[in-house]
Amino acid sequence: MPVSTMVTKIARQVLTVIFVVALLTFIVGPLLWLAIRAFSTSWTYPRLLPDGWTLQWFGRVFDDPQLFSSIRLSIEFAITTLIVSSVICLPAAYAFSRFDFPGRRVFLIGLFATNAFPKTGLYVALAALFYAFNLMSTFGGVVVVHLLGTIVFMTWIPAAAFASVPRSFEEAARDAGGGRLRVFFTITLPLAMPGILVALIMSFLASFDEAQGTYLVGAPEFYTMPTEMYSLVLNYPRQVAAVFSILLSIPSVVLLMLVRKHVMGGQLAEGFQIR
Amino acid sequence: MSTNSVGEEQQSGLVLRGVGKDLGGRTIVDDLDLVVAKGELVCLLGPSGCGKTTTLRMIAGFLNPDVGTISIDGEIVTRVPPEKRPTAMVFQNYALWPHMSVFENVAYPLKLRRTPKNEITARVHEMLELVNLMHHEKSRPARISGGEQQRVALARALVQRPAVLLLDEPLSNLDAKLRVRVREDIREIQQRLGITTVIVTHDQDEALSISDRVAVMNSGRIEQYSDPTELYRSPATRFVGGFVGAMNTLDGELRGGADSTVAVVGGVTVPVDTPATPGTAAGDRPVSLGVRPENVLLGPVEAGASAKIIRSIPRGHFTEMVIELATATGEPTELRAYLDDRSPIARLGPGDAVGVRLHSVLSYDQDGRLR
Amino acid sequence: MARRHTGTGPGSRIKIGGLLMASPPIIVAAVFVGFPIIVAIAYSLGHVGGLNRTIATIARGQHTVGAWDRMSLGAYRDVFTDPRFTHDLGVTIIVTLIATLAVTALAWVIAVYLRTTPEGAWFRSGVAKLISGLAVVPMFIPVVIASWAMLTFYAADGFIRSLCADLGFQGPTWGYTMVCVAIGLVWTNLPFATLMITSGVQSVPDALIEAARDAGAGLLTIVRTVIAPLTIVPTVIALTFTAIGTLGAFTMPYFTGPNAPSMLGVDMVSYFRSYNRPQQSVVMAVVVFAVAAVFGAFYVWANFRSAKDSGRV
Repeated sequence: MPVSTMVTKIARQVLTVIFVVALLTFIVGPLLWLAIRAFSTSWTYPRLLPDGWTLQWFGRVFDDPQLFSSIRLSIEFAITTLIVSSVICLPAAYAFSRFDFPGRRVFLIGLFATNAFPKTGLYVALAALFYAFNLMSTFGGVVVVHLLGTIVFMTWIPAAAFASVPRSFEEAARDAGGGRLRVFFTITLPLAMPGILVALIMSFLASFDEAQGTYLVGAPEFYTMPTEMYSLVLNYPRQVAAVFSILLSIPSVVLLMLVRKHVMGGQLAEGFQIR
Repeated sequence: MSTNSVGEEQQSGLVLRGVGKDLGGRTIVDDLDLVVAKGELVCLLGPSGCGKTTTLRMIAGFLNPDVGTISIDGEIVTRVPPEKRPTAMVFQNYALWPHMSVFENVAYPLKLRRTPKNEITARVHEMLELVNLMHHEKSRPARISGGEQQRVALARALVQRPAVLLLDEPLSNLDAKLRVRVREDIREIQQRLGITTVIVTHDQDEALSISDRVAVMNSGRIEQYSDPTELYRSPATRFVGGFVGAMNTLDGELRGGADSTVAVVGGVTVPVDTPATPGTAAGDRPVSLGVRPENVLLGPVEAGASAKIIRSIPRGHFTEMVIELATATGEPTELRAYLDDRSPIARLGPGDAVGVRLHSVLSYDQDGRLR
Repeated sequence: MARRHTGTGPGSRIKIGGLLMASPPIIVAAVFVGFPIIVAIAYSLGHVGGLNRTIATIARGQHTVGAWDRMSLGAYRDVFTDPRFTHDLGVTIIVTLIATLAVTALAWVIAVYLRTTPEGAWFRSGVAKLISGLAVVPMFIPVVIASWAMLTFYAADGFIRSLCADLGFQGPTWGYTMVCVAIGLVWTNLPFATLMITSGVQSVPDALIEAARDAGAGLLTIVRTVIAPLTIVPTVIALTFTAIGTLGAFTMPYFTGPNAPSMLGVDMVSYFRSYNRPQQSVVMAVVVFAVAAVFGAFYVWANFRSAKDSGRV
């Protein structure tokens, strides 16, 4: 190998390493910095590690009934949203993928409207309606806000998943003697499951992580884990917020790990390319 | 060949009467009649877009005909949904469900019929043995070869004990070597079970080699429906002649009496040994002649009409010659001929002169129908 | 797989059935997005009757009109003459543009790196695996947590400043500044953009790239002339969703930004909740919608264009 190519190759590798280290610091650094704080007694600037280690802050969170009830509330909202969203969106996703009806494409892209308006603006606009219908500070009102954040996921991704099941798989099952419903549940649904699972988990997390709309519509009646963070940061030691952050991240990390392969494998991206 | 005897409908496995279908404003299948006897294997042969797949999908029940009736074993099934029809289909891409094992794929139709568990196992095993796939029972479809997938699809269809077995381009996804073997396997299994079968194909070799009868389709209609030999020997239309095997088409006519017939092409007479259909002497209507390349006989110049060799193409076990007939009008008329390699003519090259005689000449009227 | 409605039933019945099945999410979008926006626009123009009555009774500093065919631009005048608003509008747009472009550029670099990594090159495939994994990490983390983490990381006593101090110089304090907001928004939006663009770039057939390489094109030329034109739609989707998400961001600027100037998401919430002036808040929402509509139109255009290209419309 000539010296000049060797030099370019090494230079390129050095540049790559710098890029990777920068990306690593940018992405993981803040999370690590926060996570370590949860186990720290105190932390003096400019030390790169805490002054001492402790688990006392975890006890503080677990002993606080208010914080704990917010965790339960978050899960209740997420599950309710998921059920409502599934009932509303999954049949529609199937229809979008399998039937041709007037306005199919326009409607499919039109659902983008739920994401086309900047969220805060949309919630402010919704507020007038919610006051009129007494939905402000109600469980139903918060579910509606969470539901809006899931519609695109729950329709587009499953629609793409259903569409990717070859028609002939269903026909073969009809031919073998299966009625429409039977074929749907034994053939189409299992094959579309990875996409639906991605959609379900994205929706669960969208609801679980939603903060601004819940704050605007739910407060002061309903404080979920994310909205609790708003006041937590101001009223508690920073370590408590860090512990709370770790707790709040656990469901996201676990659930997304389950479908990581499908998300990275393009189920999500496929859903956002309207066909 | 399709004699319309009394009681045919009762004995027949599958009958289509006046079936028509429009899709997207186009007529795909037009007033189609087809009778398949019980236990018979029939190929629907035709170019892509001729309506053969649409016909098959109507037989299976995936499409409803706009007009006409379909009956199976004497019972009208025109509006019966696919799951209630006594048909079973092997799909072109096999449509094996990827989330089920080979066993589960084959067992699926039986499970739907609430067959007892031990009977399911027995029947699935019987089918897998029939197609020689017992060792792949537990495999997922993605893990086995294309030929094996095809056999699973066949087993899944046969396990339903259908009255009519339908195969959509069953060999198109296999490589050339495998195709010959698989089609023989299909034929053997079909004959052993005596099952009424309809196969859609665009491959004339496939159709000719395994069918009892072949229906050649073009633009939504059946142009000819007969056994393979008849189909090849006397194609009913110029289209069939051109689609099934190679055919030279000449503008000209047949003349002469019982003992000596000649073909008159471009003002030149070419001696004809045996006309397949004796043409009329009257030359008042323009006709065209069809002759298979193996029926173009080349010999020494004095033995026939004079012609010149243009190209000689070695084809392995025979030689294909493109020759040009010296016509009186000066209009060049090309003919293709197949020659035995051992013939001395096969050693001649471009530019050399030969004498042409024809054998089994077919003559067609201006609509392209056999006269 | 583009075949649809080839079912056995009569076509018209399937069409109506399909429309019925598809309608619930459309109705939800119409009732809870389309309708409130119209009501809100009416409110912003001074219509305080009907559905706006409740909110209007508790609001301060409203401009109202008496008849349905009149309108008042008073609330708009209020908002636009407020120097804080015009300033924050500018800040919001600038942050949105910077974050969107940075996210898209970063996603493209990652996507191209992944696409051009040859099989068997251990160093490169190791790096590829690492960065593709890194890029989706933010998707796993709730925005509230991310905001809080960003703030502590870039704060006066955060990691960056600590590290700089240990190395012997004064580091920048980005916590509570717009810089931290922009960094945070890039962080949260990176996974979606990366997934979209990576998937688009991956789907460019090998043969097209090899043919270009065979014709003598270098990496940049291939990206510019082959990969980019075939990845327009995913790129536009990534751009639009990032831009719209950033425009309406609340949590990230609320946590990590300064009190003023801030982004409109924060202003809207404080006008609504703290100052009790929902009409002005709605006016800001309408302005933000107008900006978002530009991005949205771009998205719809790209989608229909791609549909036209592939003969689907």
